[in-house]
Amino acid sequence: MPEIIANGVRLHVQRLTPSHRSRTPAQPVVFIHGLGMDNMSSYYYTLANPVAQTGAEVIMYDLRGHGLSERPQAGYGVADSVADLAALLDALEVDGPVHLVGNSYGGTVALGFAVTYPHRVASMVLIEAHFTVAGWAEQVAAERDRIGSDAAGGDLRSWLEQLGRKVTRLLAMADDLINRTTFLDDLKAVQPIPMSRLRTLTCPVRAIYGEHSDVVDYARELDAYLPHCELTVLAGCGHSVLMDATAALREIVLDWLAIQASVITP
Amino acid sequence: MTPDQVLADVRVMLIDIIGAEYALGLDISMATTFEADLELESIEFVKLSAMLTEHYGNRIDFVGFLADKSLNEIIDMTVGEVVTYIAGRIDATTAVTVDA
Repeated sequence: MPEIIANGVRLHVQRLTPSHRSRTPAQPVVFIHGLGMDNMSSYYYTLANPVAQTGAEVIMYDLRGHGLSERPQAGYGVADSVADLAALLDALEVDGPVHLVGNSYGGTVALGFAVTYPHRVASMVLIEAHFTVAGWAEQVAAERDRIGSDAAGGDLRSWLEQLGRKVTRLLAMADDLINRTTFLDDLKAVQPIPMSRLRTLTCPVRAIYGEHSDVVDYARELDAYLPHCELTVLAGCGHSVLMDATAALREIVLDWLAIQASVITP
Repeated sequence: MTPDQVLADVRVMLIDIIGAEYALGLDISMATTFEADLELESIEFVKLSAMLTEHYGNRIDFVGFLADKSLNEIIDMTVGEVVTYIAGRIDATTAVTVDA
């Protein structure tokens, strides 16, 4: 299993290289997933293989504490995620600019990375991106308390047996992350990226939100944050655009990367 | 390479991924589904793909195999579909090598 030690943490990484190279975008495409129960597989099932098939090199990784990456006790703020990504690209010897595709919290990381290392980002695709994580830890904590009290009210073992191996394992992972690491405290301590810093970003940005998403308000504020951003709001979709509107999203991302490639290839 | 040989390889990898203890009562056959039967986590399917690519090298093209599939098509796949694909590709590459 491909593993890389980055920023002192063992990260699970998958690189997809196409079997044939056509109009190859010069820069790799790096996918950053969301928080909690998410991991790189949400990209593997949706966007990663089609992007690799166009001739681009794809890099996917599990954030620390997620998927098959190590779950250290601490280091779950956005700054840690940004440092992990920088160290990962260093370890992979990817020195030039990359295209970042971030979903939900992955979008927050992409934005944090771009303001910290503007020269390392060729473009960004932000899917349902959070511009801040304010209030997020509280939501996760409330959800944990709800699940905890549900479990306390019934027979936990039969409840888990009913859910089967897959969900039980995901819940156990999330429980470990929430209860045995500084995950929630780290998230609570995150300071939003100042608008003045976001405004300094010059790389092309494509943003996609679901019409009924709980974070669609960010889309309305995009003009203020990122004046050059190109926005699509997908009708009928909620927050899980990646799963619910995969075909539409795939088209948007492939078009976007093709445009970026044509810009850099004379 | 026959589908039976590929199935034997895939079975070993799957038991490695889901754990021998859980695999004990399972008969992994061509008709077994990753989702409903094995309850494979999505990330474990990614791991399987990586193991297959490492094992068979560039004789198979998992990127191409999955690129045109929808999320539901991938989730609903049987072990047999993956095995048939791999066996077919390996036969094709071997044939090209012999011709050359």
